[in-house]
Amino acid sequence: MAEHATAQETLFALREQIARLEGKSLPALAAAEQADSAADPEGRKARDNQPRLPFGITQMDTALEGGLPLDGITEIRSLLMGDAGAASGFALSLASYLKARQPNEAPVLWIGDVVSTQEAGVPYSVGFKQFGLSSRDVLYASPRKLDDALWLAETAVASGAVVATILEIRGNPRHFGLTESRRLGLRAKAAGRPLFVLRHAGEEEASSASFRFLVEPAPAAHRHLPDGSMLGGSIGHPVFKLTLEKSRNPAPLSLLLEWNPHDRQFSLGRDAGEAFSFRNPPAHPGARLPASADRQDRAPALGTVMAFERAS
Amino acid sequence: MRLTALDEVSERLGLKRGQGLAEARAMFPKIDVMDEDGAADQGLLEAIADWCDRYTPLVALDGREGLFLDITGCAHLFGGEEALLRDILGRLLQMGFDVKGAISSSPGLSWAACRFGRGGVIADRVTAEILAPLPVNALRIDEVTIAALYKLGLKRIGDLMPMPRAPLARRFGMHLLLRLDQALGHNEEAISPRRPVAALSAERRLAEPIQAEEHILQLSGQIAISLKSELEARGVGGRVFELVLFRVDGRVFRIAAGASQPLQDPKRISSLFSERLNAVHDDLDAGFGFELLRLNVLQYDLFKTLQGDFTGNGDSEISLADFVDRVSARLGADCLQVVEPKPSHVPERAEIFVPAIAARIVREKTEEVFAFVPRSDRPLRLFRHPELVDAFAATVPDGPPRRFRWRRIVHEVIRAEGPERISPEWWHDAEEAEERDYFRLESEAGRRFWIFRAGHYVAGETAPTWRVHGIFA
Repeated sequence: MAEHATAQETLFALREQIARLEGKSLPALAAAEQADSAADPEGRKARDNQPRLPFGITQMDTALEGGLPLDGITEIRSLLMGDAGAASGFALSLASYLKARQPNEAPVLWIGDVVSTQEAGVPYSVGFKQFGLSSRDVLYASPRKLDDALWLAETAVASGAVVATILEIRGNPRHFGLTESRRLGLRAKAAGRPLFVLRHAGEEEASSASFRFLVEPAPAAHRHLPDGSMLGGSIGHPVFKLTLEKSRNPAPLSLLLEWNPHDRQFSLGRDAGEAFSFRNPPAHPGARLPASADRQDRAPALGTVMAFERAS
Repeated sequence: MRLTALDEVSERLGLKRGQGLAEARAMFPKIDVMDEDGAADQGLLEAIADWCDRYTPLVALDGREGLFLDITGCAHLFGGEEALLRDILGRLLQMGFDVKGAISSSPGLSWAACRFGRGGVIADRVTAEILAPLPVNALRIDEVTIAALYKLGLKRIGDLMPMPRAPLARRFGMHLLLRLDQALGHNEEAISPRRPVAALSAERRLAEPIQAEEHILQLSGQIAISLKSELEARGVGGRVFELVLFRVDGRVFRIAAGASQPLQDPKRISSLFSERLNAVHDDLDAGFGFELLRLNVLQYDLFKTLQGDFTGNGDSEISLADFVDRVSARLGADCLQVVEPKPSHVPERAEIFVPAIAARIVREKTEEVFAFVPRSDRPLRLFRHPELVDAFAATVPDGPPRRFRWRRIVHEVIRAEGPERISPEWWHDAEEAEERDYFRLESEAGRRFWIFRAGHYVAGETAPTWRVHGIFA
């Protein structure tokens, strides 16, 4: 009987270890923690202190389990090199959002890719400044080889000297596979610093990133006039069309996110309904339109999850 | 073709420098002749000069076949002048060089004693005695003067010394007297060392050569400890360090590493070199090992002593500087850059990239540099060279295009903002530089571009070109 109990305990310890490695909470563990927390609410709070950065948007925060993870990899992917502007913009807006909410003066590190720089242009600090990152907040690195870039990302994340690291990658290079991303992920976890992998024109690939966004360009918001109305035909704050491709949440999330560089704040895209023009319909229009019953329904808010009732 | 250098055997046979090759071949048909390779000779001489750094930091090249070493204050480290000279000559002989050397109080006298005398250590009081029997060639003067002196029967330096100076100067110029004074030590002569003298330096001589990288690092850490007290005494920290590795066979490796902040801490100095060694890994051939390691401080700066506080806020600055140093040491100073704003309204001139290591990341709160602040939006990514686009149906004279083709893709323009006119800088640009009218365009896919028209639509002339200069988020 005693042996059995010891074996159980070993098994439980192993499970706990695996769960910790994977960053999950085991049901039994969770139950035990709840029991703990009942006795000691302060301790529970401290233990639960997983660094997350909430967006302040309910949909996003629910899907991201509380917000952007600050101790792991977040991948930002674009379909085409032509979408480099949107993808870079989203990565930079995340960095800027993060920087605005952290008191220290550490900079953001941008690790550029040589070919992407030629294809999509050099990071332009004057534009960065208008985007919410001042020129002394950013360090630019231009390693010649991918190996150097990976080393640089690892060193930066592990040193804890930078607020966030943006690693620009083009396509799916063979040398940046699961092993490398796992290694980077562990470093990020140990140091508690986020790493944004900005993958231009890349495929979906297994990695240790906790979340992966697909970024597509979307029409910008209109400019605000002082009296609160919008100036028609103007190009205002940038809007990104995001699809959360990888997360623990099984329902895919797709939304339009607007970045306000002045307030350094995200908000939901305002004119979500008319995001897609007649001439350029989305690739799978059927998936977004509900099937009409006896009459035409009004357009639902984008990104709501339809879950079926349990059959029995 | 003429003979430029001879070995011992051919010298004994009576051949001379400057002799014609045909004549030498006629005298001795079996001699081996090799083409002169001046660059290789120079390289060899410089390698020997590098090797001589172990004796003194002041080593100067002297023509094609000589070296000057300023050993002021160094001789006692090697057991006196005699021992020093013996050590140098002995080691060079072991390497296969037939070398003559002399130590005296003036470079001119040493030069003469090496080439025309017996060399060795010459005391100050016997200078005139040693110099007197030497031929006038030993004075480093040109051939014409030598020939003229010979014609007058002034063959030895001893003949010149008692002569009245004024007539000599009038006939042969001041140069002869200058050289004579330099040889006698009446006139100070400076040698020009090849390398600047390090501000601080410490070294370690090893009885047993070391090869492994970790041993090198460990030793450099120990040397850095011995440097620390000197740095602290001066209140400075090193900015650029150089590790000099003397290999057993005479080759010398120099590895320099810079730091973004003045450093005193031996551990951080040593960690600079650990990254550098990783980077130069293949170029550093340890061979049979290194017998002498030296750590030089090439540049230093005032060291600000910071007291650590309980919250540990000071750490982030140090870790950032440390990170910059490590990356710059490993991937080169150009890899990690920061942007310095420049006062220019032309977009591509509004900023320059400077190496982070030079730019003092951990800046004091300096005043903001005056920079041009644009009124309208600037793109996130800028093309180094604006790319040509085909613009269609532009509103003449100053409107945006309805659609344009860039990289073989046609973009329909949905919205446009502009124009923003940016004039060329007449104080930089040529007169024919054109004004640019910039537009922000949004294509139907939601991509945003920064496009400009160079010049204007003028009736009867070719239409102006359109270029894309950047992309927005």
